[in-house]
Amino acid sequence: MPVVELQDVCKSFRKGGEIIQPLRHVDLRIESGEFVSLMGPSGTGKSTLLNLVSGIDQVDSGRIVVDGTEVTTLSRSRLADWRARSIGYIFQTHQLIPVLTAYENVELPTLLLKQSATERHRRVDLALEAVGLADRAAHYPRQLSGGQEQRVGIARAIVSHPRVVVADEPTGSLDTDTSEQIQELLQRLNQELDITMLMVTHDADVAAIASRRLLLDHGKLLETDLNEPGKTAAG
Amino acid sequence: MMKYVLKTIWRHRARTLLTVCGAAVAIFVFGLVTSVQEGLDRLTHGDAFNRSLIVFQENRFCPTSSRLPEDYADRIRPLAGVREVMPIQVWTNNCRASLDIVVFNGADPRQIRAYRPMTLVGGSWQAFESRRDAALVGRSVAQRRDLSVGDQFSIGDVSVHIAGIFRSSVPSEENLIYTSLRFLQYTNSLDAAGLVTQHEVLLTEGADPDRVAAEIDAELRSGTVATRTRRKGAFQAGTLSDLVDLIGFSHWLGYACVGLVLSLVATTTVMSVQDRMKEYAILQVIGARPLGTLRLVLAESTLLCVLGGALGTVAAMILLTFGGYAIGAEGVTIAFRPSTRLVASSLIVSLIVGLLAGLGPAFQVSTIKIVDALRTE
Repeated sequence: MPVVELQDVCKSFRKGGEIIQPLRHVDLRIESGEFVSLMGPSGTGKSTLLNLVSGIDQVDSGRIVVDGTEVTTLSRSRLADWRARSIGYIFQTHQLIPVLTAYENVELPTLLLKQSATERHRRVDLALEAVGLADRAAHYPRQLSGGQEQRVGIARAIVSHPRVVVADEPTGSLDTDTSEQIQELLQRLNQELDITMLMVTHDADVAAIASRRLLLDHGKLLETDLNEPGKTAAG
Repeated sequence: MMKYVLKTIWRHRARTLLTVCGAAVAIFVFGLVTSVQEGLDRLTHGDAFNRSLIVFQENRFCPTSSRLPEDYADRIRPLAGVREVMPIQVWTNNCRASLDIVVFNGADPRQIRAYRPMTLVGGSWQAFESRRDAALVGRSVAQRRDLSVGDQFSIGDVSVHIAGIFRSSVPSEENLIYTSLRFLQYTNSLDAAGLVTQHEVLLTEGADPDRVAAEIDAELRSGTVATRTRRKGAFQAGTLSDLVDLIGFSHWLGYACVGLVLSLVATTTVMSVQDRMKEYAILQVIGARPLGTLRLVLAESTLLCVLGGALGTVAAMILLTFGGYAIGAEGVTIAFRPSTRLVASSLIVSLIVGLLAGLGPAFQVSTIKIVDALRTE
């Protein structure tokens, strides 16, 4: 049974006086533990697809089921509860809360899950350790480098042990060295923690770390052959 | 999540400080205005003031113009419903409205001791009863005029030796100075031997105050001076009628203060929320419910308001406790005293205003379109 399943998903929005339809009857199945990268030129709807999967945007039509929950039918409150349990979201620019320390930022999702203090501390410590920032727990975002901030963002995304982590251009704002470290980290988390990952990127090198690559082109999702990156097949 | 609210408030210290100070000043003024209103209510609606009557000369207002025969007391005492009659000579330094009015009440020392709700906090009854010019000074007057037991206090033609300082369960009493009736009657400027300003009539249990008042006026109609008898509360309200209007108007000042706090805290909250719309979107992405973010904004505005309100309330209570302020006219004073009710009303107003101030921005945050908010810079 797939962890993420999109059936006949359409999404359009109005930009200026024009109606843009980035997703046209899209179908997608992602199995448990898969690491899927989604590529495509700017403005093709990669982030829109990610937002639909994570329930922060709504489809025009179609059905999305994630971890056994049909997210397209949930209310805003239920979606929030579901996200807290099942989804980890990694932003392009970390998006940490500036008034909270690294530790407190990572702790936030666990507070929403109403866990005991002991369990919360255990999970936060583990998450920070997993991203190699246990010694920076008391630092505020302004006291961290860009790469460290992104690591805190990743720790926040995995702290509640979600089934699916979505990442929107997670290396987009980082220099090459830091980008490579983050790619390595994401790969390790996918393999060691068996987290299903869906990552949006426009960088083919970054997309290469995924076990499966998809290309979004003119509203359609195409499968890219891992051995022959130029070759695609309709997905 | 409270940590997030507290740290957010702390992050914008200057803005927080200004908002809290503004709220504190407004609630401080609100507290003072409310204390004046409470003082008036106590004076005109207290149960004790409905169980006693004041017999005053008809068509006279200022105490200096009411001159009743002292022996009217003997004619009032036998009437049904009358428990005791207390002839009182009143002397005041100012018949007009004043914030530092000094009012002397001259009465029989035994009656003062028996019927006035007072407890000496300094001096002794013995000293008061044994010396002709002895006076018992209310705590508020003593505070205001910096008087102590043993001091000689002179004002106008009246000069008294302070034999005691008292506190009273009736705050307006603490603005009075009691002397013996004889002493005040023979003061040079009064020249009131055999005369008094008013008779205070204490009623028996179950007596109808208005019926007894009518009987007193009827009984004294044949006397040398016509009288008008009213419940003490009504008498005080009538005497202070000009001030009552003014105090009624001051209500609006209180409401204006509440409005000021509301607009101040609402402005701060709106600014704060607009700056952090993206943060609220992030919180919702990681699983905060819309209602949860609504609560965060309400907590922030309420905290600011209650903090300012608490500071303003404390400042008002300190001023009211140690200032001993009172406003008076024609020998009747309204005491501005701190009270539990005043503290509670100020804090409740702060709480409600805090919630109201946060409602708009809180609703905005809870209905935010996450995707759009994440795109904002």
